[in-house]
Amino acid sequence: MSIPDETLMAYADGELDPVTRDAVESAIREDPQMQQRLAQHRALRQRVQSAYAAELDEDVPQRLLNAVRGTAGTPEVVGPARQSGAEPTAVRPRTRQRRWVIPVSMAASVIAGVGLGFFIRGGTPLVQSAEGALVAHGPLANALSNQLAADQASDSAVRMGVSFLAKSGDYCRTFTLPGAAASAGLACRRGKDWQIQLLTPGTGGGGGESGYRTAGSAMPEALAKSVEEQMAAEPLDQAGERAARANGWTTVER
Amino acid sequence: MNVQAMNTSETSQNVREQIVALLPRLRRFARNLTRNHHDADDVVQLAVERALTRLEQWHSDARLDSWMFKIVRNAWIDEVRARGRRDRIFLTAEAGDHIGVDSMAHETVMLSVQAAMARLPEEQREAIGLVLVEGLPYREAAEVLDIPIGTLTSRLARGREALQTLLGGEET
Repeated sequence: MSIPDETLMAYADGELDPVTRDAVESAIREDPQMQQRLAQHRALRQRVQSAYAAELDEDVPQRLLNAVRGTAGTPEVVGPARQSGAEPTAVRPRTRQRRWVIPVSMAASVIAGVGLGFFIRGGTPLVQSAEGALVAHGPLANALSNQLAADQASDSAVRMGVSFLAKSGDYCRTFTLPGAAASAGLACRRGKDWQIQLLTPGTGGGGGESGYRTAGSAMPEALAKSVEEQMAAEPLDQAGERAARANGWTTVER
Repeated sequence: MNVQAMNTSETSQNVREQIVALLPRLRRFARNLTRNHHDADDVVQLAVERALTRLEQWHSDARLDSWMFKIVRNAWIDEVRARGRRDRIFLTAEAGDHIGVDSMAHETVMLSVQAAMARLPEEQREAIGLVLVEGLPYREAAEVLDIPIGTLTSRLARGREALQTLLGGEET
């Protein structure tokens, strides 16, 4: 009786029901070749297990312990503004339990009520309220219309992320505003405007906190999700972006 | 213990400490996924934060480790998607790092288990990571990966075969 390799493997992993297990055992008894295959499976399992065993002894970084316990503890990532003598209790937990995110429907009223300080650069607002919608303004609008992801200066005030054609038929682009309160958002071309679909505080810790961590490479979850939902096809590559820009970010042939 | 009881701070405290105890394994699994220690810790942190906001979704008769592994994996999937879309243009060089599996297989140099694992396709790597490294039963691993057990076993079998080849094959 020949035993399929997958069954032999499951036997080595202790995953077979008693009946199949007995059948395998009696088949193995008379088959040296199968015994060898079984030994191989076991040896590999053993080898993989022991190769990774040491990783369990490594120290867990404090930031992960803090994330679980929800305590500030001793933050290992601190902004330059953090005083070395600051009381631990004065440091807010770094867990980003509720990142605030402004869906477009609420954005206009929120921006009026709160005034998003960090959306203003050099005295110029980057977003404006227009007919109940939020539209990009100044440097942000300029970057959305002209800046290609592939050739942007590393110190540009606005960094473009991914550009794509949305299910709505509009071109949309993600952007980040580097800085202490790194923020990110998604804008879609509507007529001559870039309508802001979403604003998030990016990978920063939220407004008003002196400690911040470096932006890292993660796109904020809410933004990624929104992009995911709206994207109609693969994001534009360099040539695609260039072509879309040349066409004024409109899908209507001119 | 019912779901309501999960809301008491004492229980939540208890679960948090259980998660703390799981951190070394979560990191190890995340490293297998990400193949990068720094990414792994970021993903674990994100997963922990997500898990804490939905502790009420975890039922105490389910394995906490499986539940956490799944959240870690989903966090990584989201991260890869976000990153891939945003950075596609910039990452071409790095993506090239994993080309050349075939040529490696013919080298006489023995790879470390970790290096061999890093060369497996993702779906095999995560299956092996959960079953052989983390010791999850097939049923739990299939649940973490959202696949039928049959799919899991075939990925495991292919992954093992590839590892055997990369690690020098017939040494037993």
